[in-house]
Amino acid sequence: MKNSFLNKQRFAMRNPILFIAALGLLAGCATPRNNYDPLESINRPIYSFNEGVDKVVLRPLAKGWTDIMPSPVQKSVHNFFENIVDLFAIPAALLQGKGTDAANSLGRVVVNTTAGIGGLIDVANVLEIPKSEEDFGQVLGFWGLPSGPYLMLPLLGPVTTRDVVDPVVRFTAGPTTYINPEGARYAYTGINAVDARAQLLPLDKMLDDQYDRYAFIRDTYLQRRWFKVHDGNPPYSLPMAADFEDPQVNNGTPVASPVPAAPGAESQP
Amino acid sequence: MKKMKWLLVLAVALMSGSVLAANETPEQIVRTVSRDVLDIIKKNDKDTARVRDLVDAKVAPLADYNRMTKLAVGRYWLSATAEQQQALVREFRQMLVRTYLSALTIYKNAQVDVKGSRTGNSADEVNVRSEVILAGQKPIPLDFSFEKTDAGWKVYDISVEGISFINNHRNQFSTIIQKEGVDGLIKQLSDRNSSARASVVANTK
Repeated sequence: MKNSFLNKQRFAMRNPILFIAALGLLAGCATPRNNYDPLESINRPIYSFNEGVDKVVLRPLAKGWTDIMPSPVQKSVHNFFENIVDLFAIPAALLQGKGTDAANSLGRVVVNTTAGIGGLIDVANVLEIPKSEEDFGQVLGFWGLPSGPYLMLPLLGPVTTRDVVDPVVRFTAGPTTYINPEGARYAYTGINAVDARAQLLPLDKMLDDQYDRYAFIRDTYLQRRWFKVHDGNPPYSLPMAADFEDPQVNNGTPVASPVPAAPGAESQP
Repeated sequence: MKKMKWLLVLAVALMSGSVLAANETPEQIVRTVSRDVLDIIKKNDKDTARVRDLVDAKVAPLADYNRMTKLAVGRYWLSATAEQQQALVREFRQMLVRTYLSALTIYKNAQVDVKGSRTGNSADEVNVRSEVILAGQKPIPLDFSFEKTDAGWKVYDISVEGISFINNHRNQFSTIIQKEGVDGLIKQLSDRNSSARASVVANTK
């Protein structure tokens, strides 16, 4: 009895993403309709926490990384992680029946892993093999699953409930599971995080200029996901504020049926 | 008499010019204007203030800043007085030009490829899809929303990678208006615009 409780607890601790995802799903059940951020009151404090961590730890690390590391090293590290992103893009494209995208991603991985020395050099880019940015959240969106409530995960950042599937798949199937010893696994995760943050450094100024950074990140994230699920050609742009009234825009006619409640009611391609 | 003739020729030339512009499709507008704007940036590499003025002059006749502001302010627009509305449009326009110029200076060696267009919410609206191409980088989707007005096609929204300029401000603006009223929003916008101007002046000195 005691043992199984401990096991469960360990499971939750070892799989923080799953644990948080489960929490999010539970909370999602109690969602009021017509509101794409029903958990705002929980999300906002988490965002403040994330901002604090970023300011003290992640941003300085990323800055140090870009200052100290020679740019070829930075580039190679980034390419290495992108190669793994491409690897996951293959099944994600296949699951949506996108044969060309899957073939391109496969081509990229094969070329970059061999000629590109384990992904360190992006040879596929020189060969102009297009990169497709498919992921498992888009797979579910493609098959009609709405995005569900927007979540701000501690340390991990913005995600919709549906799109939690992507980090979960990558976390469980990704290379981290196979890396031994544990120290190497932490190093891998750490460098991955620093590289990802370094990519965003140029956007910091823009973010600092915003009046409400939480709202800016949320609205940007949700619109971008909507755009990606529809492969850059969404049927309509995501209405970001439910209370939209502009007589001139509506021309007296009702806005296309009851305005779709943001990502909660996505129509499918 | 000779002078009159000359004036007539000039008038006809000007008229045909504006007629031509009015007949241009949104796709053609995106093509020509993006090419012209990138040319301006390339030729005036060092002079930020000059680039800003030239680009503003080029883009202004094509942008419906009034409607952009209206859409960004959303439901609070109607509660603003005429003076407040004017001030909002003025400050929003400055912010838009500033934001896109800082993006453009990064992309000065870019090329804009028009990918196609489709009808928007009504027959009078057209969305033009394009891509910003930079050597060795993934193309960046850039979409323009056009509406047909009495003065020809005008842009009322721009999206980068699906992120709409208008939508991205609406929630933030309503937060400010709820807390500090319409005047609070005008003040916030103009404060930021003038501090940005100050830093541009400092940089060029």
